[in-house]
Amino acid sequence: MDAATHNISRIINTICPFCGVGCGIGLRVEQEKITGVEPLVSHPVSQGKLCAKGWSTAYAVDPIDRITTPLIKENGAFRPASWDEAYRVITEAFSTTIAQQGADALGVIACARATNEDCYAAQKFARAALGTNNIDHCARICHSPSVAGLRQTLGSGAMTNSINDIEKADLIVVFGCDPTENHSVLGGRIIGAKMAGARLLVIDPRKTRLAQMADLHLQLQLGTNIALINGLLQIIFANGWEATEFLNSRCENEAALRARVAEYPPERVAAITGVPEEKLIAAARIYTEAERALLTYGMGITQYTTGTNNVISISNLALVAGQIGREGTGINPLRGQNNVQGACDMGALPNVFPGYQEVAEPASRARFATHWQRPLPERKGLTSLGMTKEALNGNLRCMLIMGEDPVVTDPDQHHVQRALEALDLLVVIELVMTETAAMADVILPAAAFSEKEGTFTNCERRVQRIAPAIPAPGEAKPDWQILGELAGRLGYHGMAWPNAEAIFNEIATLSPLYQGMSYPRLAKNHGLQWPCNEQAPNGTSLLHSKAFSRGKGRLIPVSHAGPAEMPDEAYPLFFTTTRLHFHYGCGSMTRKSPLLERETPNGVLFINPADAQALAIKPQTKVRISSRRGEVETRAVITDEVPPGTVAMPYHFKEAPSNRLTNTAQDPVTKMPELKACAVRVTNLEAECK
Amino acid sequence: MKRFLLDRIDRLRDHLASQRPLFTPQGNDGSAELNWLPLTRETPPTATGRPRLPTCPAKQFFFPEREILFRFDGNDFKETLPKPTPQILFGVRSCDLCAIAYQDRFFQQDPYYQARRRATLLVGIDCQIPCDGGFCPTVDAGPFVRDGMADLVCHQQQDEGWLLMAQSAEGEALLRGLDLKAAETSRIDQRTRAQQQVIARFPPATHIETGIQRINRAEVPAGQWQALGLQCLACSGCTSLCPTCSCFTSYDRPAADGFERERCWDSCLYDAFQREASGHNPSATAGQRVERFWFHKFSDEYAKTFGRYGCTGCGRCEKTCPGVIGVHSVMKSISAAP
Repeated sequence: MDAATHNISRIINTICPFCGVGCGIGLRVEQEKITGVEPLVSHPVSQGKLCAKGWSTAYAVDPIDRITTPLIKENGAFRPASWDEAYRVITEAFSTTIAQQGADALGVIACARATNEDCYAAQKFARAALGTNNIDHCARICHSPSVAGLRQTLGSGAMTNSINDIEKADLIVVFGCDPTENHSVLGGRIIGAKMAGARLLVIDPRKTRLAQMADLHLQLQLGTNIALINGLLQIIFANGWEATEFLNSRCENEAALRARVAEYPPERVAAITGVPEEKLIAAARIYTEAERALLTYGMGITQYTTGTNNVISISNLALVAGQIGREGTGINPLRGQNNVQGACDMGALPNVFPGYQEVAEPASRARFATHWQRPLPERKGLTSLGMTKEALNGNLRCMLIMGEDPVVTDPDQHHVQRALEALDLLVVIELVMTETAAMADVILPAAAFSEKEGTFTNCERRVQRIAPAIPAPGEAKPDWQILGELAGRLGYHGMAWPNAEAIFNEIATLSPLYQGMSYPRLAKNHGLQWPCNEQAPNGTSLLHSKAFSRGKGRLIPVSHAGPAEMPDEAYPLFFTTTRLHFHYGCGSMTRKSPLLERETPNGVLFINPADAQALAIKPQTKVRISSRRGEVETRAVITDEVPPGTVAMPYHFKEAPSNRLTNTAQDPVTKMPELKACAVRVTNLEAECK
Repeated sequence: MKRFLLDRIDRLRDHLASQRPLFTPQGNDGSAELNWLPLTRETPPTATGRPRLPTCPAKQFFFPEREILFRFDGNDFKETLPKPTPQILFGVRSCDLCAIAYQDRFFQQDPYYQARRRATLLVGIDCQIPCDGGFCPTVDAGPFVRDGMADLVCHQQQDEGWLLMAQSAEGEALLRGLDLKAAETSRIDQRTRAQQQVIARFPPATHIETGIQRINRAEVPAGQWQALGLQCLACSGCTSLCPTCSCFTSYDRPAADGFERERCWDSCLYDAFQREASGHNPSATAGQRVERFWFHKFSDEYAKTFGRYGCTGCGRCEKTCPGVIGVHSVMKSISAAP
C-alpha cells in the first residue's frame, strides 16, 4: 500500500469467508486495498465477535501471491496465457474426451468456499454443459454422512435448530467436535451459555477446551460412537426415561431399535468405549431429564467408515429422548466451511440437483432438463474419491477443480497425486498456487469472496449476501463467469448470466428451499433461513416442529463396528486428525497471516505425556509419524488433551500433511473416508541422531 | 483557551469539513454499525442522547493495522515514512481521547505514528449519558473530555445549545469564519456540575475497583488465571479493539523489486507472541497470557510510566470476546473471594 496516507475510504459489510458459522465482518478498504476487518455488532450470529481467522481476513485475500492471469503448463513450467487460449486448450481436451469416451470421463469438483452462485454454476456446467453427474465437493469428507443419515431418519440433512437456540437450551451436548477451535464464535456462545447456567456434556476422545469446562465428559475410545449411543439408549429404555408420547406420536420403528440396543448393556459398552458405567448412566439421565437439550456434533461423528450409521445413532438418541422439534433442542451438525451447506443445497453432489431433488427421479430430471434446455444424464455420478479412483483406472480423463486442494485435504495423499498425474488434463480455478494447482495443466484465476457478489449459506441454513469490497486483481473473475464462458465455448449457452443475482433468481426458481428468497430480501435482514417459501415467507429457524420432513421420525437400529484399521505391533498408536482455531482447510488463506502462521509454523503432532515419555519425546522434539500409506515429519507438542495411545495431527500443513497417513477405507453409503482413525508408529528423530 | 456558544454541532462539523478531510463515526452504507468513516453527503447528523462508541477506536488512524516500514530493492533501502494530508477526527469520546494520549506516549519516538498524529486534529464530545458497558469514571477517563486531550471539545448544555472549547491554537484557528458568541465563565462551572450528575448515573463498578486492587496486590491465585485462560481462544479481538493496545510485530514480504518490511498489529494472547526460537515460552500457558494482559491494563507499575492505567473503561473487550472474558467478566471473577 502507498505509505503516504492511511485514510479509511470505506467499509464493506459482508460475511466471513471461513467456517460455517457465517459471522458478519466489515472489510476496511484504504486506497483500494483491504487493510483490516471490523466485526459487525448488529449481526445476529456473531454479535460483534470474530475468531482469529476472521480477524485475519485481510491477509487471506492479500494480492501478494494471487494468480492474476490464466496459466498454461509447458515443459513442466507455467506461462501466462490469454483467456482465449486457455479456454481453447480446455475445450479441445474436453471435446476430444467426450467424443472418445463419453462425458463420464470428465469430472468436476466444486468448492465449499465458493458462493452458492458458483456452486450452482459448477453443477450446471457438469450436468448440462458436459453431460455428466460427476460433480462433487469436499462435503464428501465432512458432512456427507449427515446428509445421508439425517435424510433417512428425519428427511432433511441440515442443522435442525438455529445458533440462537444455544442460549435457550438447559443442556448442551457437544459430540465429537471442538467448536471453540473450529467454530469459535459458536463455541464461545456455548461457553457463554455454560456460564449463564446451562449444563454441558462433552463426548469426545480428546480432553478439549469444552471438555475441561464440562459438567460431564465421556472420554470414549476412538471409533466407538455407536456402541456408546446404543449403550445410552439401553439405559434410557431400561429405566423408562424415554419420551413415550413423542415416540408414539412422531416416531416409527421403536421395537426394532429397542431390540438392538438391548444388546448393549452398560458393562459391555464400558468395555468397548472405555467410559465407566456410572458416567454412561449419568449422561443418559441428564440428556433425558433436561427440559431442552441441544446436541451439536462434528467430524468426530462423520469421518468414519461407520459415518452414516454414527449419524443415524445420534438421531436415534435425540428422537428417543424427544430432544428435537422444539427451540433449544435438536440435532445440529457443525458445517466446516463457510458455504458447505450451500454447496450441498446447490446440488454440487453426484446424486442430487439443487434443493436435494434426486437425479434418479425421472420427474426431477425432466424438470431440470426443461429449465436448462438440455437432455440430462441419468447415469450415476462419481464422488470425489470415485473420480480419483477412476482416474487411476483410466476411466476418468479430465478434471476441473474449483478452489479445492485435495492433494492436502483428501485422504492418502500419494493416491490423490497419482490420480491427478494420470489425467489427460487437469484444470484448476484458484486464487493462489496450492499443491493441487501446481499439478494442473491449466490454471484459471478466480476472484476472491471480497471481490464479487454472491451468497453463502451458513450451518443454520441462513443464506447471506456477500459484497465486493475491491476489484479482482489482474484478469481474475468469479468462478460462475469462468464456467459460463467455458460452457459457451462448449456449445451450451444456458449459463450466460449477466450477474450473480440472475443466478440466484434461477436457483430460487428451481429450489423449493430457496423459493421465497431474493437479493433485496436477503439484504434486508442479515439473510433468511431455508426453507423460505410460500408457507414460510420469512424463513424457518426451527425444522421438524410439527412433523418431520419425511413425516415420522425413523428409528434405525445400527451396530457397533470398530475402525477399519486398528493399532497393532507394527503401528501401535491410534492416529486422529483435528483442526486448529488458527487455520482453515489446506491453509491457503490463513497461512498468509504472519501471526497465524507463527503459531504452528511446521504443523504439530499432539501426543500424551505417557506416550511421549515412552519414546523420550520432549516438547518440540522432531518426530516421524508412519502409517501403512506414508510418513511425515513434524514437531511434538505434549498434551493430555489426547488420551494415552492416541496421537493427533491437524491437517492444514502441506509440509506435514497428515493425509499422507490417513486411510481411504470408506463409509459404504457415502464414500466418506475414515479420516478420524488409523494406526501409526511415532519415531523420535532426535534420539536417532544421538 | 477560548470558549464559545454553538447552536448546532453540525454547523461546526460542516465548517471544519470545508477545510480538511473529516472522519466521524457513522453506519457504513446506512447499516446499524458505527465505524470511523469519511464525512459524506449521506452522513447522518451527529447523534446526541445515549452515546454509542464506534466499534473500533481511533487508533488505526495513527497506528495502522498494517504498515510498510521500508522497502529494499537489493541495493538500497527506501524510506516509506508517511506524508499524510491534514485531517480531522470529529466526535471522539473521552475514553478514546485518553487512549490516544496514552499511545502518544508509547509511540513518542515513532516517526510513522507521529507523522500521522501531527497531521490530525481531534474534536472531542462529552458523553452526557453512560454508554452500555462503559465505566470511564472508574479509571479516570471520562465521561467528559479531559483538559488537553483534544483540540476542540463540544459539550451539550442542559438548557440548550453547545459549549465549544478550543484547547489548542490549531483548533482555535480552524474556527475562524464560524459565527460564534463567546461563552460566559459560568458555563465552565455548569459543565463541571453536569459531569458529576453524569458520573452519578453510571452503574456501580466495585468489581473493577476490587479487581484492580487484587491485581496490584498479586492476590489472584494462578489457578484462577488458568481457569480464565481456558476461556481464551486467542482470537486477538480484545487487543484489536483495545484503544491502548500497541503491540506489533514485523515481517518481510516479497515486493515488486526485492522486499518490503511490514509492521502489523500483534496480540499478546497468541502462544507464539513470546515463544523463543528454542521453543521455550516464558508465558507458556493461556492463563499466564491472560494474566499478563490484565496486568498491563491495571498495574500501578505501568500507570507510573504512562500517567494512567492502560484501560480507559470503554468496555469493547467485553463485547468482542467470544470466550466471555472481557473486562467485566474477568474483574467480576477475580474480585470474588477466591
